[in-house]
Amino acid sequence: MAGPVLEIRNLTKEVPTGNQEPFVIFKNISLIVKEGEFVSIVGPSGCGKTTLLRVINGLLSPSSGQIYIDGKEQTGAGKDLVMGFVFQGASLLPWRTSVKNVLLGLEGKKNSGEAEEIARFYLSLVGLSGFEHHYPHQLSGGMQQRVNLARALAVDPRILLMDEPFAALDAQTRTFMQLELLRIWSQTKKTVIFITHMISEAILLSDRVIVFSHRPGRVRSEFAVPLARPRSLDIKSDRRFVELENVVWKQIEEEVRAAREGSPI
Amino acid sequence: MKGMLRLASIAGGLVLWHVLAVWVIDDSVLLVSPLVVVAKGYEMLFVTADLYPHLFASWWIFFYGMILAALVGIPVGFLMALSPLVRDYIAPWMTALYTTPRIAFAPVLLLWFGIDIGSKIAIVFLGCVFPILINSFYGMRVVSREFVEVGRSFRLSGGRLFLKILLPASVPFILAGLRLAVGRGLTGVAIAEWFGATEGLGYLIFFAGQTLNMPILFVGVAVFGVLGVLGFQFLQIIEDLATPWKKELEAK
Repeated sequence: MAGPVLEIRNLTKEVPTGNQEPFVIFKNISLIVKEGEFVSIVGPSGCGKTTLLRVINGLLSPSSGQIYIDGKEQTGAGKDLVMGFVFQGASLLPWRTSVKNVLLGLEGKKNSGEAEEIARFYLSLVGLSGFEHHYPHQLSGGMQQRVNLARALAVDPRILLMDEPFAALDAQTRTFMQLELLRIWSQTKKTVIFITHMISEAILLSDRVIVFSHRPGRVRSEFAVPLARPRSLDIKSDRRFVELENVVWKQIEEEVRAAREGSPI
Repeated sequence: MKGMLRLASIAGGLVLWHVLAVWVIDDSVLLVSPLVVVAKGYEMLFVTADLYPHLFASWWIFFYGMILAALVGIPVGFLMALSPLVRDYIAPWMTALYTTPRIAFAPVLLLWFGIDIGSKIAIVFLGCVFPILINSFYGMRVVSREFVEVGRSFRLSGGRLFLKILLPASVPFILAGLRLAVGRGLTGVAIAEWFGATEGLGYLIFFAGQTLNMPILFVGVAVFGVLGVLGFQFLQIIEDLATPWKKELEAK
């Protein structure tokens, strides 16, 4: 049996605050993600889940702890491109067309003909054939996030890190994009860490849902999602889906209340 | 509609000028009608053709001054944006030079670079370099943190990050800086040619002013105005071509 794609050991991130105690964003996070697994992280606002993703990606360095990918320790933003990052929004380069945005991670690594072929393939995978030469401002929010996803997939990463990619979309587009992500994921079988505020989104998409505590973020609990794939929106009315959603919500509610210490939300 | 309004505005201004010159002031030493200026301009362009030496003299001063200013201003602006060390080192000098009236430097530059084209280019350069430098600096500084993170998440090397993210993101700012520099550069040309010049539009205006020759004076002023508008429009076209994504963003 192959080892885990991603292993995180006792990861802690603190930010110094001058002479006082450092500000602890998350503490002692340990996590193992297997090949082809789709893992979501949910938690109250400000629990450090986005920061965790940035630390894993090497955009920020951890205060302590280790990150291993395929057993190899990651130190800072290494040269190897083993992770694809899907940002929240407005991260497409406005001076580049769709295909050029997707090419960003390939330039200088593959010859241009091959790179362009790959870029076009991933654009068609995310359903954007025919929009190769559109600039980001000519695309809808949902289409922009498709390009964002294609860009991350095009570098053929070992792990795909998605930071609330659908947060800025309207409810209908968001639901549609969730279904699209299910389809794309079933075709690529990538290992994914998906950050979201939305519990139903996490359950619909994931094999496993991890609940973070309030700050400093720790792993409070984790749940395997007992729902078969392929999935459709119908599973949202499945008893197990509804129960899991309730359980996770109760935990997040407790965390939010604990964070607020009795003050109204 | 926009075009009509602009035409009406220009026409209205010219009519007012004519009325002021012919019926209100009625003294050709103080003001002449735009019709007289146009006639004089036509004569200097197509009959005697004695405008051209002045035009070309001014043009080359302006051209070299702008090119030098861009060659210095853009890289220095970038360096200041990328290195806090360079920024803190240069900032006091930059502020001092920027805020000192350029005309104060003119006699000194004349001494240093001679009465020929050198000192004049230096004066134009001094005027143009700061808007270009400040815009290049600002453009590179305000590149959204998210874009830089995108580059870093794709593991772009420092050089690629600069070429593929920072530079293209600053292009609109650089071009805006160049546009601002056009006006300041032309002012520089006029100032430069008031000091010991024997040709050029600035000299023409100065000479016409001394000899109370209103038609020639206004031809000189008008040519400066036309050059400014042309330069500005030219850079606007370059900007639209270089940043097709920008225009539609602004329209939104």
